[in-house]
Amino acid sequence: MSEFEPSILCFACNWCSYAAADIAGTSRIHYPPNVRLLRVMCSGMVDAEYVMKALEAGFDGVMVAGCHIGDCHYISGNIKAQEMVTRLKKLLHILGLEDERLMLKWIATSEGPIFAETIKEYVEQLKKLGPSPFRKELVT
Amino acid sequence: MSLEDIIQETKTFYCLDCGKCTGLCPVSRYNPAYSPRVMLENALFGFQDDLTYNHDLFSCLTCYACSSKCPGDVDYPLFIQKARALALDAGQHGDCAHSGTVQSLARLMSNPGVSQNRLEWLSDGLRISTQSDTMFFVGCAPYFEHIFDFDSGAIDAVKASLKILNHCGIEPVVLPNERCCGHDMLWTGDVETFRRLAEHNAAIIKEAGVKKIIFSCPEGYRTFKEDYPKYVDIDCELQHISEFLADRIAENGLDFSEVKRKVTYHDPCRLGRHLGIYEQPRKVIAALPGIELVEMEHNKEESLCCGTSAFVNCDSCSKQIRVDRLLEAKATGADTLITSCPKCQIHFRCAMTNKGEEKGPDVEIEVMDLVNLVANALGDGHNE
Amino acid sequence: MGGNITAEALDRDERRIGVYICHCGLNIADTVDVEAVANYAGTLNSVAVARDYRFMCSDPGQDLIKNDIKELNLNRVVVASCSPRMHEPTFRKACEAASLNPYLFEMANIREDCSWVHDDREVATQKAKALVRAAVARVYYNDPLEIKEIPFNPDTLVVGGGIAGIQAALEIADSEHKVYLVERDPSIGGHMIQLDKTFPTLDCSQCILTPKMAAVGAHPYIELLSYSEVEEVSGFVGAFKVKVRKKARYVDEDKCTGCGLCQEKCPWTADSEYDVGLSKRKAIYTPFAQAIPNVPVIDRDSCAYFLKGKCRACEKFCETGAIDFEQVDQFIELEVGAIILATGYDAFDPSTISQYGYGIYDNVITGLQFERLSAATGPTGGEIRLKDGRKPESVAIIHCVGSRDQNYHEYCSRVCCMYGLKVAHIVKDKTNADVYEMYIDMRCFGEGYEEFYKRVSEEGVNFIRGKVAKVTDKAVSEEEEGKLVVICEDTLLGSIIRVPVDMVVLCIALEARSDAEEVARKFIISRRADGFFLERHVKLDPVATPSDGVLIAGCCQGPKDIPDTVVQASAAAARVLAMISKGRVTLEASVSHVNEDLCIGCGRCEELCEFHAPKVGIYEKPMPVSRVNEALCKGCGACAVACPTGAISIKHFKPEQILAMVDALAET
Repeated sequence: MSEFEPSILCFACNWCSYAAADIAGTSRIHYPPNVRLLRVMCSGMVDAEYVMKALEAGFDGVMVAGCHIGDCHYISGNIKAQEMVTRLKKLLHILGLEDERLMLKWIATSEGPIFAETIKEYVEQLKKLGPSPFRKELVT
Repeated sequence: MSLEDIIQETKTFYCLDCGKCTGLCPVSRYNPAYSPRVMLENALFGFQDDLTYNHDLFSCLTCYACSSKCPGDVDYPLFIQKARALALDAGQHGDCAHSGTVQSLARLMSNPGVSQNRLEWLSDGLRISTQSDTMFFVGCAPYFEHIFDFDSGAIDAVKASLKILNHCGIEPVVLPNERCCGHDMLWTGDVETFRRLAEHNAAIIKEAGVKKIIFSCPEGYRTFKEDYPKYVDIDCELQHISEFLADRIAENGLDFSEVKRKVTYHDPCRLGRHLGIYEQPRKVIAALPGIELVEMEHNKEESLCCGTSAFVNCDSCSKQIRVDRLLEAKATGADTLITSCPKCQIHFRCAMTNKGEEKGPDVEIEVMDLVNLVANALGDGHNE
Repeated sequence: MGGNITAEALDRDERRIGVYICHCGLNIADTVDVEAVANYAGTLNSVAVARDYRFMCSDPGQDLIKNDIKELNLNRVVVASCSPRMHEPTFRKACEAASLNPYLFEMANIREDCSWVHDDREVATQKAKALVRAAVARVYYNDPLEIKEIPFNPDTLVVGGGIAGIQAALEIADSEHKVYLVERDPSIGGHMIQLDKTFPTLDCSQCILTPKMAAVGAHPYIELLSYSEVEEVSGFVGAFKVKVRKKARYVDEDKCTGCGLCQEKCPWTADSEYDVGLSKRKAIYTPFAQAIPNVPVIDRDSCAYFLKGKCRACEKFCETGAIDFEQVDQFIELEVGAIILATGYDAFDPSTISQYGYGIYDNVITGLQFERLSAATGPTGGEIRLKDGRKPESVAIIHCVGSRDQNYHEYCSRVCCMYGLKVAHIVKDKTNADVYEMYIDMRCFGEGYEEFYKRVSEEGVNFIRGKVAKVTDKAVSEEEEGKLVVICEDTLLGSIIRVPVDMVVLCIALEARSDAEEVARKFIISRRADGFFLERHVKLDPVATPSDGVLIAGCCQGPKDIPDTVVQASAAAARVLAMISKGRVTLEASVSHVNEDLCIGCGRCEELCEFHAPKVGIYEKPMPVSRVNEALCKGCGACAVACPTGAISIKHFKPEQILAMVDALAET
């Protein structure tokens, strides 16, 4: 049996985390291919709906990546993202979903290696958790 | 189901094209482009695209203001429910309010792998059991607590209901992995998700071996009573908590403390026009010593919908309906608007959440669920 | 027909998408089977053509797109190549050149996100297909957006009249464009006018600054609003509206000749701000002799007339009748196109580090106070004197007071090492006292700085590497009697030493202004964790801020020396001149949009928007609804997330576009 490969959707802020992923690329820092990046202008733009739809679509983990607190290009978008994630986590907890399946992470432009490291760690974490209970193949 | 089948099932061909429905429709009053009569007409002419690609298909509140007076006895809300399923097949859906969270949660919950933590709100003072013949259906309240940026009051109503049942000597079964009843899924056309939810609930209720289910949410009650039988077998007596309370009060009375409030009662569409329960909640209110009940201009069969249904197409029209209803409540001079539906309470409280400088008309009034009113009068002030 | 038919129903199946997969030489093609990706793209919904090419960004690559748009009638384009942060503008221009709205273009990043970070060819090809699938799914829902321009108001506001503000104002005004310079103190000059000599050249600070100040005062294109503060800012780049409070001076600027008689006759005094408390000034005063404007102000807190109701000596002696006790604050409305913030810094208050004895021992002074002692215009006429008038025989200079310290400020204040050296040089020069520099590291990085360090070292200054633990007057030996004892570990010797001195100079940190938070809020800009204003990009955009048209210069952006401040001020001025020269502003097209039918007027958007773009009001509908001022909107999307009914969406980042990507990326 082949090892379970988790799928991750990462909403990445154009001004920091997406740029950090670019830096990881330019520096040829390899990371697992399990992640799919979706560029947004601000982590505060990520609606709870997008996260829930990603879970419905079968992603094993969803990551919202924004600028460090105080560094937001739009002043406080990352704080709003934090509020959204906190609220959504409560709902997902009631739904019986493991806390790790939704991750909020601050990654600055210069932190390409941290981006790669974060993805590596997240993949490992999700491998331990196993497939999401919402994965499509489980739905009959 | 084809459009032809829908027309057959909902007796649309009896439509006299008289327009009474549109005249009575609360949505048409503010959105002149929306007409139930024209919707039916399009269906009868076979203009399926004009039906399924019409954004306003999802604006209907399914409140039964139209059908309750229809001379042809056309079941328009049912027609809408079925037409929405057609629309969904064509990739059309309404605008889901609150980030579509309610809909997403229901879809996720319909998954067999789900194992919820939905009873963390239970506190020491509230007693449940696994042995009772009576079950209390909690519904979506544990989720509602975290969906909105205002206090929905839904979980407080659930706690109040349990307190009432405990007070009456009932320690009900409350299931830890109960699913959403599927009401909103059914009424927004997602029949498949609805069926899955219904099957889950039927299975776990059967396993629990209960004989009676009490609801504080009229939507869950209506769904179990009217819609589940078409999909699953629920062999239980079903009762809304207002019916339960009215019976108890009539049998041997309940010992209430004085309630110094002037209240008005808003009939939820599901409890009222859908199921004909108008008197029981009023009897319960009347049993509270010291309380004064005043009626709004539109009450009982003539009651107005709270303005939103199934968290879809909540719009400026929906806000106007809510504002008008709240102004009507305030015009009675009541200090509290009582309802017996968590959704009505949410929609009213939402309409009172105005954070801009321009707030529109003053619609502030205390909105309370009937069960909270009753539980507060039961002595220890648990929910006060 | 009843109801509004959705747009999608009307134009279904009319998309014609062109997809272009770039090899990027071997950068992509080495790891990704580009041909397979192109073949796959050709099978996707609404894709009319899919090609692969060696370098899409080259002229022939771009021509490929342009020709296909024309010949194959494409109405959507996807390029899968590098990061959109790299070449999105390139391809958008190519689309525009072929008369396709640039927002109908979408990019898939298969280089930085894929070929450069994975090595398994099969896996990378799979991922590239997914990324292309998502871009195609998204572009299906892209709308053409209108690119709007408004005229740019060529007048500029500069806030702060220190060297940064002066430099910026002069550079802009010299090009014959109007500048309003707002200064909150009675005179411009800032911290620089307080300094004696400037490192490393030892130029007299006042001698180099006062000509510039005079130029500001006399400039036909500069309107100086001294003793004034910005109250409110509204509007947006190209068309800001600014309300300025001109504080009452109680002296009529038009009548005052600056003769100084009022100051001479005024019997009331207070601590001089200019001399950092080392001398007194009158209740009616100009802060220093060369003040611009040379018009005094009355300080209500020390004026007997305002405190007790009588005196008015100044009024009696003023020959032109310029004194006006009835004056009130005035409000002036300005309209400007751009704003430069040059609000400077606050000097760190060392009394919070109680072990250094500042405020306890008379002869523990700050670097800024030393500047006043040393300056010819200062209270001692430039003589270095102890409080009792004696000449010091030994002086300790303590570095990093409040800087490079987790308890105060983690950052390096960048100027202290150099001014510490300057203090050492001046003390040596003027008193020949023994001088001790207690430092952690010497940071002498600028032009001529290292050379200056060498020069001071050779002058016999004692350098002790170690952060001072304590300054005390408790003598433990005869030689310490009557002295201040500086206790520190000489980390190079590894031993604790006690240095008895007459005077201690604290090299205090530069910190963010105490009201920086309020100012940031007023001008809608961000601050770093250390409190200074945040530039748009730390390396590549050092004078811009998130608010278009609001620029920052000098120490308000972080501690820096005079040369760096002047460079930044000139850069900010150049940015403003570039905007003036263009004459119009392109507004962000990807902005918030309210569907008024869905809006319930709840005002959540209005409450949370940092840029004050949405506003709830009663417009055409009877009920309140929200409307967005597109010129103010930055397109961050926070309002759309907060909107309970889904009435708000961000153009180019609509839920349909994002959700189409989510679904496409989830497919395996």
